[in-house]
Amino acid sequence: MAEKRVATKEKRIIIKATRFDPDKDEKPRLQSYDIPFADDSMVVLDALNHIKSYVDGSLSYRWSCRMGICGSCGMMVNGTPKLTCNAFLRDYWPRPIVVEPLTNFPIIRDLVIDMDDFMHKLKSVQPWIIRKQELPLGAGEHRQLPAQIAEFQQFSQCINCMLCYAACPVYGLDDTFLGPAAIALARRYNLDSRDQGLKQRLPVIAQPEGMWECSFVGECSVVCPKGVDPAKAIQQSKLDTTLRFTLPYGNRD
Amino acid sequence: MPAGWWLRKRHYFLYVVREFTALPMAVWLLWLLYEIKSASAGPAGYQPPKSLGFVVFSVVCLAFSVYHSYTFLKLAGVIMHLKVLDRPVPSRVIVLTMFGLWAVASLVIGGALIWFAK
Repeated sequence: MAEKRVATKEKRIIIKATRFDPDKDEKPRLQSYDIPFADDSMVVLDALNHIKSYVDGSLSYRWSCRMGICGSCGMMVNGTPKLTCNAFLRDYWPRPIVVEPLTNFPIIRDLVIDMDDFMHKLKSVQPWIIRKQELPLGAGEHRQLPAQIAEFQQFSQCINCMLCYAACPVYGLDDTFLGPAAIALARRYNLDSRDQGLKQRLPVIAQPEGMWECSFVGECSVVCPKGVDPAKAIQQSKLDTTLRFTLPYGNRD
Repeated sequence: MPAGWWLRKRHYFLYVVREFTALPMAVWLLWLLYEIKSASAGPAGYQPPKSLGFVVFSVVCLAFSVYHSYTFLKLAGVIMHLKVLDRPVPSRVIVLTMFGLWAVASLVIGGALIWFAK
């Protein structure tokens, strides 16, 4: 057992990370780092933290919780959008790991992308509960049955990590597309029995750059680390919206 | 996006194939419309092409059509959000029902065409 521990300590892995300084570089380049692969629980984020702490303190990237909750550490790992806190080195070793910023977004520096476009789109669908008239606090809570919660629960797991945008070729080809996460969250609130904001969100999701732009590639659902299935949310929204405008009395609140 | 983005992943490739299958099918259907228009003038106007090339094209179109229908019906289970007696119908049941209806429709239409051809 002791021998095995020593052998594990000697393991090393190559991390090739994107470096880009907008003041000096014309375009991003890859830089290799040979780092110790200390134990099997190490994830790509640990490797980046090791580089920043002991090899090159100038490496820039976003991270926060290290447990797949905050959605900050999304990057391209060997060409696939992943949360780096959830990408284990053991799944790649002994091959090198290429870590790049999420595709389809402008790069600010190294592995940091500009998320302004996503934040603007997210806000445009008003992902919060909208009430026509707020009840006073004294009226008590809005109660829901388990079946009513089950309607939207899957879509409420979104952590805004933007992996689905990096995986979506439709967004990559045309960044005016509202995108998977924003539409999934719009659906999450539209399905919530406490919400009354459907008619405020419809003009946003039903515009040409909204759900109709999606051609159902489905890769957004494949890469989602929380199992949200945005492709399902988008297609269901298309069907619901069509029925609203074609069925008698379909366009009710 | 680089021009070869759709070759980067198997999933992207299958998606592009799925979308592309609509194109030869559209060409084949345009030909069918032309033949229907010709046949409206009577049996003399109906002269379907019998070349080997056209037969091969038709077989390829049939394969594309089957693949397109398969992907469409498989995805229908994801899209449809049905409830029976206030309980959501599992997508597996929806998909199987779709494939069942597809088989029945194919048999009925194929049977009718053979019947009228006789």
